[in-house]
Parts: sequence; C-alpha cells; structure tokens
Amino acid sequence: MDFKLTEREELLRKTVREFAEKEITPRMDVMEETGEFPVDLLRKMGDMGILGVITPPEYGGTGMGNLARIIVLEEMGRVCPAIPMAIQVHHMATHALSKFGNEEQKKKYLPPLAKGETMGVVAVTDPSGGSDVAGIKTSAKLEGDHYILNGRKCFITNSHFSDFWVVIARTGEGGRGLSAFIVEKNFPGAKPGRKENKVGLRGANTGELVFQNCPVPKANLLGHEGEGMNIAITNIAETGRPGMASVALGILNAVLEQAVKFANERALYGKPINTLQAIQWHIAEIFSDLEIARLLVYRVGWMRDNNIRCDIESALAKQYACEAAARSARKAIEVHGSYGIMKEYPVQRLLRDALVTIPAGGTGEIAKLVMARHALNMFK
Amino acid sequence: MVQSKIWVFAEQRNGQLAEVGIELLGKALELARPAGWKVASVLAGQSLSGPCERLLSFGADEVFVADHPLLCSYCSQSYAKVLDNLIREHHPEVFLLGATAMGSDLGARLAARLRTGLSAHCIDLELSAEKKLLSVVPGWGGNVLARIYSPFTKPQMATVMPGVFDMPREGNGRGRVIPLDVHLTPADVTYQVLEINRRAVKENGLEKAEVVIAGGAGIGSKVDWQLVEGLSSALKGAVGGTRPPVDENWAKEDQMIGQSGRTIHPKLYIGVGISGQMHHMVGIKGADLIVAINQDPQAPIFELCDLGLVGDFKEILPLLIRAIQDYKA
Amino acid sequence: MQILVCLKPVPDPKHWSRLGLDPKTKTLIRDGIPNIINPLDKKALEAALQLREKEGGEVITLSMAPPSALSVLREGLAMGADRSILLSDAAFAGSDALATSYIMATAIKKMAHYDLILCGDQTLDGGTSLVSAQIAEFLGIPNLMHVSAIETQGSGAFHIRSQIEHGSMVVEVMPPVVLSVVKEINEPRYITLMDILKAEKKEIEIWSSRDLSLDEPWVGLKGSPSQMVDLLIPEGKRKMEILKGDPPEMAGTLADRLHRLGYC
Repeated sequence: MDFKLTEREELLRKTVREFAEKEITPRMDVMEETGEFPVDLLRKMGDMGILGVITPPEYGGTGMGNLARIIVLEEMGRVCPAIPMAIQVHHMATHALSKFGNEEQKKKYLPPLAKGETMGVVAVTDPSGGSDVAGIKTSAKLEGDHYILNGRKCFITNSHFSDFWVVIARTGEGGRGLSAFIVEKNFPGAKPGRKENKVGLRGANTGELVFQNCPVPKANLLGHEGEGMNIAITNIAETGRPGMASVALGILNAVLEQAVKFANERALYGKPINTLQAIQWHIAEIFSDLEIARLLVYRVGWMRDNNIRCDIESALAKQYACEAAARSARKAIEVHGSYGIMKEYPVQRLLRDALVTIPAGGTGEIAKLVMARHALNMFK
Repeated sequence: MVQSKIWVFAEQRNGQLAEVGIELLGKALELARPAGWKVASVLAGQSLSGPCERLLSFGADEVFVADHPLLCSYCSQSYAKVLDNLIREHHPEVFLLGATAMGSDLGARLAARLRTGLSAHCIDLELSAEKKLLSVVPGWGGNVLARIYSPFTKPQMATVMPGVFDMPREGNGRGRVIPLDVHLTPADVTYQVLEINRRAVKENGLEKAEVVIAGGAGIGSKVDWQLVEGLSSALKGAVGGTRPPVDENWAKEDQMIGQSGRTIHPKLYIGVGISGQMHHMVGIKGADLIVAINQDPQAPIFELCDLGLVGDFKEILPLLIRAIQDYKA
Repeated sequence: MQILVCLKPVPDPKHWSRLGLDPKTKTLIRDGIPNIINPLDKKALEAALQLREKEGGEVITLSMAPPSALSVLREGLAMGADRSILLSDAAFAGSDALATSYIMATAIKKMAHYDLILCGDQTLDGGTSLVSAQIAEFLGIPNLMHVSAIETQGSGAFHIRSQIEHGSMVVEVMPPVVLSVVKEINEPRYITLMDILKAEKKEIEIWSSRDLSLDEPWVGLKGSPSQMVDLLIPEGKRKMEILKGDPPEMAGTLADRLHRLGYC
C-alpha cells in the first residue's frame, strides 16, 4: 500500500496552493460581504486547468483524475472553502456529461466548462426535499420534439452564473420515472430564481432555478428516459460527495493552521498557551481529525481513478470530513478564547463554512443510511 | 616600494566617493595597525584628484589612482582587468570592497580572475593571530552566521555591507599617491552606459513599506500623533499603530499592526510610545532593524529591539526629525 | 535565441525553523526540508520564457545539485523550459561559489551556442551573489547584475536596466552576456495542470564529472578557497543597544545611524 503522492501530485499541490494564495486571498473580504462568486476568476481557473481536471483531454481538459481533483479542491479550500464548493459542483456537471452524455452533447457542453466560459450546475433538489430524490415533482412532459419542463429547483450552487444546467425531472412514475436533461438558460421559460443568503461558504452562489413551460429539445435528454435517478445518485456518489469532502478537508487545514498559529503566539501566565495541556489536546484532536479525513477522502480519489466502486467509502468520507470540520472549527474557536468569537478572526467563519458543508451534497443522515445498509449485510 | 598589505576599493561614480569605501578604509586602518601593516585605497575612474585628496585625509597610507578616459564609466571587465594587473604586481594580503551594486559585481569577477576566495556581504571583519582575515557572513536570511576565511589564496577578499563600520575621522593625510599606467583599449569596455536614472522614493502601504514608524498608547493625544506622522514623512515611510491609537482615532484601522492586525517585514521599524506587548511585536518581528523610543526603561520593547532610546518622545522626535532633514539638505 | 538559465534548488524558507546545527561537523542539518527553486532564479526563468515568446529559440535550465534536485528541475520544465541539464557528482560536493562557477562554466562551454545566461542575483541560503559574475569571468564574456529589465534591439544588442544605489542605469551590451536579475523584474507565471503534464515528456540530462573536462584541484571542497571556521545560529535576540545621552544626543546618534544606513 503506497501512501506517497507522486511527483506530479506534489507539483500540482504546489502550483494550486500558489494560485489560491495569490488570486483568491485578495477577494475574500468582498466574497464574505456580498456572498458573490468572483466570476473573473473563472477564466483564470480554466487557464490553470483547475476546471478541466476531470474532463477528458479530447474535450479540453487534462483528465488528471479524481485524486488530482481532490488535491486541487483541498488546496483552494485551505485559502477559501467557498471557491472549491462552487468548483466541485462545476465538476459534478462535467462528470454527469462525460459519463452519460452522447458525443454531440459532450462536444458541445464539456469544452466551455473546462475553459471557464460558464459555470456548471447539477440541479436535483426539488422543494420536496433533496434527500427524497424519488419524490421529485419537477415534471418533463414529452410533446412532439420537446420535453416541457415545469417546476423549481432549490439550493442549487452556481445557479446564477451558469449558461446551462443538468436538471433531474419526472418523465414517468416512481423512482424509475426520473430523467436528466441539459437545460440552457436561454431556453424560454427557464430562469434563475431567488438567491439564498447562506451563513457560510459565502463566495459560492446558491439559489433557485425556475421552469415554466420550458421546452427542452429531445437532443438534450441526457442518457435514457428513466435513467435520472441513477444519474443523480452516481453523480453524487462519484463526484459530489468526494467534492464536498474535499471542501471540508480544506477547512480542516485552515482550522489547524489558525489554531496552531494562535496557540504559539498567545501568552497566558507568562508563557505561550501551546504549553498548556488542555490546548495541546485540542490541537491533537484537530490534527487527528485532519489526518483521518484526508486518508478517507484520498482513498475515494484513488478508488475512483482505479475504477473501483466506492459508494460506501464516498459516503463515509463525506460524512466524516464535514462533521470533523465543524467539530474542529468549534475546538479552534475555544483555543482562541474570546478572540474566537470576534469577526476579525477567521475561525468563526471557518465554523460557519463547515456547518454549510454538512447538508450540502447529501446529508449526513443519508450517508449513514448508506453505511448502515452496507454494514448490516456484512456478516451474512 | 609599495608597502600596503590591506587594500580597499574606493568606489566612486562621477567623482563622488561612496561612503562604504571610506568606512572600509577606517576599518582597514584599525585592523592593520596592530599587525604592523599599511593600508592603500584603490581608485579607478577619470578626473580623480578630489576623491584622492579625500582618501588621503581619511588616513590612507597609499592611494593607487587609475585615471583614464576608458574608465570614466564603470564596466566590470575593464575595471577587473586594471585591478587584476595591479594586484598581481604587488600581492596585497587583503582586498576589501563595499557590498554595493558595483562592489559585489567587481569583487566577484576579480576573485574569479585571481582564483581567490571572497566572503560576501560581511557584517564584521577580524584579523586572526596568524594575520588571516576572518569574515562574519550571514546566511539563510540571517538565521545563521558563519565565520569564513580563505587562508591559502591571496588576496583574501571580502565585500562588506555599507553602514556596518563607522566612518573614520578626517585628519592630516600624510599618505602618498601612486598614479598608475593604465593599459586599456576600447575593446576592453564591453558595455556602454546609456543613461542613469535616480529614483524618487514613493510612499507605500504598510505591507510593502521599507520604513515603518509606529505609535502606541504612549503618544497620548491626536496632536502628539502628528509627531509620529512627521517622523514617518521625514523618512519617507508608512505609519502604523497598535490598537489604542486606532481606538482613539489617531490612526486608521488599516494601519494597525499586531496579532489581529497585520504582520509586516520592513527594513526599518521605529516604535514610539509602544510598550512592546506580544501581539504587536509579533506583527513586526520580521523587521531588519527595530528602534524603540519609550519613556519607561522597563518597557518590554527594550528587550526586543536593536536600538533603544529611553526618553520622552515629545523631546526626541522634533530633534530627530530636524537632524534627518538636515542630512537630506 | 538560445538562453541558459541557472536554477538552484534551495531549502523552502517555510521550513527553516527546522534547521539544525551539527555541533561536531559544524554543518547545517537540512534533512527533511523540501526544496524550492531559488525565487530569483525562478524570475530569471520567467524572463527567459518571455524572451523566447518574443524572439523564438530555446530555453535550457542548468543546475549543479545532488539528484534530489530532479523535482525542482521538473518544476522548471513545467514553467516552460525546453529541457534541463543537471550537473551532479559526488566530486562536486563542498564546492564554494568559485568552484561552482568553474564547474558550471565548464559545462556551458560544451554548448554549441548561447546568447544569454540568466541567473538570480542571489540565493536564499548561501546568498553570496558571486556565481553569475564568476561564470561570466570563466567564460570571458560581459556580465551585468541587479537586472530589472531586458529589452532586445533590432541591432542584436540588448538594452539592460541594472539597479544601482538610489536608482538604475540602462546599459547597451552585445550577446553573449550573463545577466543576474532582481525581484522587480517580473512575476513568474503560474504552472498550469497542462504544463505539468507536458513537462513529464521533457528531457533532463544528468552530467557527471566524466562528461566535463575539469581540472581536479579546482573542484569540490579542494577547489574552494573559502573555508568555514565556525557556524552559529544566533539566538534571535536583538542587539538591545540602549543609546546614551540626553535627548539631543540620542536624536543625533540615531539620525547619524539612519543616515549611514541610507535612510536619509
């Protein structure tokens, strides 16, 4: 079992870290204030190859793979977790299109995503509930050459910055009655709706998409009719959960760094507080959460790159990493004492960011159901 | 017969001697006397009688003068050739230059020509009991100090940072001038200086500022804060402060330096009326030179500074500002 | 245009607090500290790449270092260099600036043709700033240090801006010439993911002393006239010099010190 990263992965980490520190840091205050994604960065990220990290080379990406993607997201997350939140959803759209799209769809929609001409969106969650995918009400009725879309999608990241969306809608009855569509913003009757005001990950836009008798050409059906549930679940398991877990990894890195810096500098009783055992325990616990989360998330990247099915490991990584991020951010706040609850210190923002990762991209409860079902069948 | 064993390069541009050449002359004389040695300054350029006189007045035992039209402008290869010939003729023990733009360049080429060792950017020099030159050199960003010598090759060379050694006193020069025959052709001058521009120093933000003047609670009032701003202005620096001045509105929020504020790495930091609490000092620990001015001799900042002035800033600052302005005039 | 760029791997300053001193051998313990490209060398490489973009040609990086430097060289290739040469041999160990310059100049003499040799003015660790000028001396070509701008002229000459105290000068010089650059010259480009993949296909040649005709006595520890007597890690304590005298005297002394350091 080789736990070392390759030269390629080390260089990748280095260059993305540099990019994030130089390009993302100066935009953070405005992002936190306004909640807006810095769109001017999108092209730069396209040029860097960050957006096309899992896009196959023939469609404008590098196809470096899932572990590379995780490292990219983690390094950006260290600086500002909102950015990889937006980018990981962008990758989700790429994944859905690469895996389930036909040649024309891939040729048309993958390159603009890789280049950063627009942001990618996967819209699953109906007001009826994201955890209840089979309960989706947004409908798509076939009339002639078009499917007519009606309904709303909510809590959709990148909703307002994208020219086209992968939307799951109901074409038939029950769980097998869902289908996936590529809906362009300029189709009549399709538009972004309200913008949400999140307490954390504020540089990633989250909002609504609204469809009122929106005609979607048959050519924009992604995969087959009835494949929608499978597409949604595969997308979440293979790309969404590892993506959110990587955002949480970024948060964990930042949390440890803040806690350590403060502990090494702050003095009480005439000495730095890093000499106090209670503080050392907090630091040790944050450190172990980071190491454990990292191993779990990297494993998913490795399994994906080796084409090994990893639904369980993916659910575990996501659920663990996001909980760990929130738990560790809370501890880091305690390390800071009263400074921790002051807005001018970043730790409180990291806690808010971590809280947002918990329900995003699949709730912890659903992840635990996935794991329980698996574990309960283990010793038959 | 040439007697000098320690030679010092007297850097000059357009007849203006660089102070470092004189500082090194002073240090060389200090090192040479106990060893029973003499010291020479080496001048190269054109129309050098003025600089020559000055070097004699600072105590040079001998002044070599290479005065030639082809040396009117510095060029590393032509200067190195002239100095190389001179050194091979008289075999000095030690050759010192300032670690300046010119000195670093010339010293390096010369050391390669002579195949001798050169200790660069020294912050101190000594002569050992065996009369070998020992140089103290910082490395790793100043985190490490090395003592270096080159005992087997001659001359032992070193370049020294300007300002490390004090200027010697002028006196009645009794040294002698040795004019040199310079053998150069135009082909020896391998580049042409087209223009020289003097830079106007700009005011910078705190992070990029090379000079930062910071005030603390001890300033006491908005009126007195103007002294801090005045000092900063005189040194073309940026103004910073601890939390109390910001709370009192003497300074702006973005001028606050400290744990919750910013960390800076200026070359020069002067803290006025600042006691030296941890969170501020952490913000400036990367400064090259830390000067503290405070009334309280027990203030923690005095253990964390390079230069301390114990006294009332209201008295010291106006005098300091005036003296600085006098230098600029 | 054929441009050589000298790259030196140096320990990453972010990890310098881990530096230890071996009291017996008086050498620094650098184990476990990862290397980066010396920042000014990176800027030299960026300058070379920009020139190649304007004038065409080839950019080759040259380094004298142990084999662990390969990852740093790969980074140079990812930035855009065409190929790399690593000079590596146990015999080179212990070389000071003079010996290093000699070895590198000997390697450069093997190249058929070069117009420019670019270096950084100074390295983060040793910081002697000697190598660029000494390489030029061994090659018998002109050099300029403290370079903040490089411009090509139609005539084939270069116009070089070189910093001096309180200003800069513009110099005209014909190639071949050695230039060492300062931090103001440029901001190096980011390495993209595409660049990383491209770099994996580029060539790194390793040359040892067998590939170069070197004079034994001038190489390695033997060839290094500068020797270390002593190495110490200062406590990090400041000088704590308290000035004497009344306010006018203190102000005068401080002003004088500031003047001599160039602040007024």
